[in-house]
Amino acid sequence: MIHYKRVFLLLLIAKIGFAQQSDFKNIDFSKADNIAKTVKVKRLYKLNELTFKLTKNLNTDVEKVRAIYVWICNNIANSFSLYSLNERKRNRFEKDSIKLQNWNSKFKKKLFKKLLKKKRTICTGYAYLFKEMCNIAGIESKMVNGFGRTSSVDFSELTMPNHTWNVVKINNKWYVCDPTWSTGISFPEEGRFKFNFNDGYFLTTPKLFFKNHFPLEKQFSLLGKQTPSFLDFTEMPLLYNDAFKLIEEHQLPLKMDHEIKKDSMVTFQYKLKTNINLNKVKFVLFSGDNERRITPTRKSIQNNILILNYQFKRRGFYDFHLYFDDEIIATYVFRVKK
Amino acid sequence: MKTTKTLTIKNNKLLLCGLFFSLFLLSNTAIAQIQVKGIVKGKTETEIEVLNGASIYLKGTNVGTSSNKKGEYNFPQQLKVGDVLVFTYLGYLKKSIKIKENTSTLNVTLIEDDNQMLGALNTNKRFKSKRLKTQ
Repeated sequence: MIHYKRVFLLLLIAKIGFAQQSDFKNIDFSKADNIAKTVKVKRLYKLNELTFKLTKNLNTDVEKVRAIYVWICNNIANSFSLYSLNERKRNRFEKDSIKLQNWNSKFKKKLFKKLLKKKRTICTGYAYLFKEMCNIAGIESKMVNGFGRTSSVDFSELTMPNHTWNVVKINNKWYVCDPTWSTGISFPEEGRFKFNFNDGYFLTTPKLFFKNHFPLEKQFSLLGKQTPSFLDFTEMPLLYNDAFKLIEEHQLPLKMDHEIKKDSMVTFQYKLKTNINLNKVKFVLFSGDNERRITPTRKSIQNNILILNYQFKRRGFYDFHLYFDDEIIATYVFRVKK
Repeated sequence: MKTTKTLTIKNNKLLLCGLFFSLFLLSNTAIAQIQVKGIVKGKTETEIEVLNGASIYLKGTNVGTSSNKKGEYNFPQQLKVGDVLVFTYLGYLKKSIKIKENTSTLNVTLIEDDNQMLGALNTNKRFKSKRLKTQ
């Protein structure tokens, strides 16, 4: 009974019109995407011209934003060397605000020169570029600094904001997007980057976006009074890239860490963006020395809502991962007691 | 008698129209002929340097240009008094400048903004609880 009430409440909140990609359900992005694919430039010294080429044949603001966004995602690589350099220096000067400011100023110039010449940058660079191109096209956009959460982020150590993304105003309504993360994935152990367009970070449902993007300025969550606290943010379930491609809402459970009794039945619930094969949904249970693939105790999809149940039968401490086929979607941690 | 009066009035009207029209022509041609060029520089805490690739565009339009390696630009369209030129470059605060009658060389220095450079890498690496890390 309690579960149903929670679900109903969550569904109700979700319906109170948050700005998201489904606002543009009737717009076909293929024209904008095609233009973004075909426009090629070697250097970025003529941003006016580039932006004009991308947007002149598009009639709506959302399509113009899309063309700019997809172009950036197809053409601007993430520079691992610049990222490492900046990380090292920022960590070194964390306690010295003057040195940090000097580094920041010096690095910024270097960063933008490299961006214009070599089309490579790090996340604040992507956010700047997106904002600039939108502004040139007459569309309002801002940069948002805050905390980006990935599996590598350790909140016990992370005290300074680590990520930048954007908000953009279309038809008088604000939307969120993350051009850096939409562009691709980095492999820090190998020091490399791979282009891999993720549409899920384009005009994302604010509540879902908030699961791994905490803005320093609350207003940019687009959640108004419903904006969770930083503490809440650090306790949310961990979501991965493909979660944003495949799910519209993460409904249950509410937190990442759980302490439960043996034989408890846990419910996982998601609103899906698209159809998935229920047979390809699996859990992976990792207990340090042992990893097992698990089928949910119960599973169903109805009206795009995916409900999974699992009963933890053995005591222990587990990392619990959700996969749709081979794509990792979410991680939870369970401490199962007697 | 009546005919003469009507003719005179018509003539006056024509004269007046002609006068207004030529005044109108004259004033219009005086406005839309300002050629603007200049140099764009950027100022940070430590130095001022020319900007390669700064964007300069006419507010509210698609008409624009970019500065070259020496920071030089030459606006491709003739402007009129009251037009606003917008100067931007990544990492600096943009400047909007209204064209005046005597504008011809417009050198602009942009000031650095104070945004921090951050860069959380996007990864798909699977999470591992500290407690479960061996060694």
